[in-house]
Amino acid sequence: MSTDPPADGPSRTLGKHAVKIDGVSKSFGKTVALEPVWLKIRRGEFLTLLGPSGCGKTTILNLIAGFLEADKGEIFIDDELVTQVPPHQREIGIVFQNYALFPHMSVTQNVAYGLRTRRISKAETETRVREALDLVKLQDFADRRPKQLSGGQQQRVALARALVIRPRVLLLDEPFSALDRNLRTAMQVELKEIQSRLGLTTVFVTHDQTEALSMSERIAVMSRGSIRQIGTPTEIYDHPQNRFVSTFVGDANLFSADLLRKTAQGARLGVGGTTLDLDTYQDDLPDPGPVTLFVRPEQCTLTAPDQPGAITATVALSVYQGSHAELHLDCPASEDGRVMLRVPCGEAQDAGTKVGLALPQRGPAIYAKEGGPE
Amino acid sequence: MRKTPLDRVLDWTGRLLLAAILGFVMLPFVVVFIASFNESAILSFPPRSWSTKWYVNAFEYRDFGLGLVNSLKIAAFGATLALIAGAGFAYVLDRYDFRFKALLNSVLMSPLIIPNFTIGLGLLVLSAAASLPRSTWLVVATHVIIVLPFVARSVYVSLRNFERRYEQAAESLGGTPVHVLWTVTLPLLLPGLISGGIFAAILSFNEFTASLFVVNQSTKTLPVAMYDYVREYADPTLAAVSVMYLVVVATALVIVHKLFRLEKVLNVD
Amino acid sequence: MNKRPFLGWFASPSILIAFGITASFLAIVQYSLRAHVPGSLDPGGFTLENFTTLLKAVYGQAFLNTVLLCFWTTVFTLLIGYPLAYAMIRAKSLALRSAILLISLTPLFLGEIVRTYSWMIVLGNRGFLNASLIQLDLIDRPIDFMFTMTGVVIALVHFTLPIVVVMLAAALSHIDRNLERAATSLGAGRVRCFLTVTLPLSIPGIVAATSTSFAWTFSAFATPQMIGGGKVQTISTLVYQVGFASFNFPLAASLSLVGLLFTIAVLAIFNTGIRRLEQMGAH
Repeated sequence: MSTDPPADGPSRTLGKHAVKIDGVSKSFGKTVALEPVWLKIRRGEFLTLLGPSGCGKTTILNLIAGFLEADKGEIFIDDELVTQVPPHQREIGIVFQNYALFPHMSVTQNVAYGLRTRRISKAETETRVREALDLVKLQDFADRRPKQLSGGQQQRVALARALVIRPRVLLLDEPFSALDRNLRTAMQVELKEIQSRLGLTTVFVTHDQTEALSMSERIAVMSRGSIRQIGTPTEIYDHPQNRFVSTFVGDANLFSADLLRKTAQGARLGVGGTTLDLDTYQDDLPDPGPVTLFVRPEQCTLTAPDQPGAITATVALSVYQGSHAELHLDCPASEDGRVMLRVPCGEAQDAGTKVGLALPQRGPAIYAKEGGPE
Repeated sequence: MRKTPLDRVLDWTGRLLLAAILGFVMLPFVVVFIASFNESAILSFPPRSWSTKWYVNAFEYRDFGLGLVNSLKIAAFGATLALIAGAGFAYVLDRYDFRFKALLNSVLMSPLIIPNFTIGLGLLVLSAAASLPRSTWLVVATHVIIVLPFVARSVYVSLRNFERRYEQAAESLGGTPVHVLWTVTLPLLLPGLISGGIFAAILSFNEFTASLFVVNQSTKTLPVAMYDYVREYADPTLAAVSVMYLVVVATALVIVHKLFRLEKVLNVD
Repeated sequence: MNKRPFLGWFASPSILIAFGITASFLAIVQYSLRAHVPGSLDPGGFTLENFTTLLKAVYGQAFLNTVLLCFWTTVFTLLIGYPLAYAMIRAKSLALRSAILLISLTPLFLGEIVRTYSWMIVLGNRGFLNASLIQLDLIDRPIDFMFTMTGVVIALVHFTLPIVVVMLAAALSHIDRNLERAATSLGAGRVRCFLTVTLPLSIPGIVAATSTSFAWTFSAFATPQMIGGGKVQTISTLVYQVGFASFNFPLAASLSLVGLLFTIAVLAIFNTGIRRLEQMGAH
């Protein structure tokens, strides 16, 4: 798991990493904000730190930016050791949650701020500010004050301000959370375009799994101060390595099952009174005994209640969602007594209907019971 | 909404009560206003004849002019020094941990509990023990000690409400700590600093008890000069001074209210 | 990485002032332990005599007067200040709210002398109040307000009112109006709503206002001095009198010191009591 040092150990060999976090930990008093973390971010990569509030994602961001000092471990940016370097010498661009645009300065002055601190000539400052405002399509708003701009425009200014200094890394701290839904999607596309055009290494912090899945090249899912899984969006969604990741990213149905024995392809399980032979991608199956079986809603299919091999369930509630309907079933085999699946609107059933539930052979994952080692 | 008889009774009791309380608050000022135009040097209500001679007398009485100049000078110096020290202290209190921080805080805030007469006496005996002259600077020092807690608190509240992200953004853009302080922190804190400074100046201008202990004839402040006048004369000159004092203060408050809304300044919004 | 770039620069002026405060406190302590040399401003040798002098009846009476003044002033200020603060926050018309605000606050910026002098004119034997009452034939002879506890309390209530109103108004303004709406929707009338929701939620403000009112009244000097006129002696007036009439600064110092310890003790007892109450409420 990624909380352990990588196979080659904490090394200082020069690699192609824009950011390298080497065994960094952070506590505030007695509260552990971050367990020791190892993380390498490739040049040009869009990496997302995803997790609930208090999971340590913002702590990592603040450590990379230099607003916090690590208790232990080292941080490298472009292979330069920066653990002791103050924020103003790290050459990092940041877009904050509420943008933190200087309210007493115009858009131009905001964007030019980072160039003034670098004592860049007036002529060059003007050119670069104009280019940056062009990039975010705000040429016509140069003289406005932040207060006179809409949320989306403010965010573009914040982005232009961060990009104009040609940062080594761009840090995004929940930048979309203040925008309403339609604007959020538009800004996500725009940001992603700019990021890949500039080939900018980007660290994105969010608690919104949809955002993380749609924008990232890799996602690090975090909880309680450590990284629980790191991988591409597909890996994270299709092959969550533990119970936390499976329930935090996407919807999950968790069944109480018995691992009867391990087989060549995977495992044989007893679940809901039937037997299931599972092909599994997992190389760390728990030992035979009571386990948790994880199945995505879209992997479950509805069958007749008496079909052999089906788990019995009763429809409790059907929720219309526009493009589909969500069917909530009472199912004794489920850990919390409930199973959710999505069906085309036409196939929604009335409450009280007895149904059968068929689980697929590929896809589901097996985790040790809650409380045991995950 | 339909009102029950009980509601009506409550409404009217409330209105009468409010009117009575506001009457109590304003009564002395109305009375002093009337008294200031009383022709005779001896009080009587209602005045038998009217005159503005006490206003003339107030301007001609030397100690009032001297006291006003002293008070303005002392308030200006005292407020400036208290603002510098108080703002600096509020900043380190909010931002840093250091040894003796709690001790420094309790010593500086102690004038909120220590009565002003004790502070005045303390500085008087200190200056006597150290053989320092009872100069204007002694009065200024007394005022700085008394108003500092108020200034420091008001700046501290501004700093608490200050969005640290602005400073972090500026730092990430390459601003050194001094540059960030100068271009971001100070400009954004300016309204809080200005109102803290004005507040300090008003407190200092009005301070009486501690001043009484530390002034001498030449460093007398206006409130002390007024107190001395009451002890020596019974005529309504002081009523005239009070009316002028009231007019200036009320006008200033109305202006501040129009500009900043007092509710916000006092955090009762 | 220097985490405290401005510590030295920003803390130095206030450290200097803290030394000044400490030094003047030590000067008081030192003087309180020195003998008074009549006719000389310089103190004599070390002695505890000042503190035994304080056991005399006149000083005990001053302590008693001060405590009574603090108590009555605080009670009346709260009784008058609460409705005023309530109206200031809750009046429907903005103009009325502004008017209440300005009227209540102006005295805060007027200083002790102007306010006390004005009350002397109101309360004097030939003052406004007695003159009016006599003209209305309600009384034959003037009532004594000047040089009495009653007069001093009236003026002190007026003196303490603005700061108490500000503190109560701050507390009231931070009560979520939806809590009162919820109470009303659950069938509480206005009186019950006030007694069960608004009043309990404003208790922190009342507590803060009470201790501030106590501290202000305790340290008030001009009001008891001018209205009390030597007949109502408090600790503050005695300190001044002992210092500037008898030039017995050692005794003045010991009296201030005892007064200060007394204030601290009262505030400490008050705070402990409040904390006890809060703990009881929490269980």
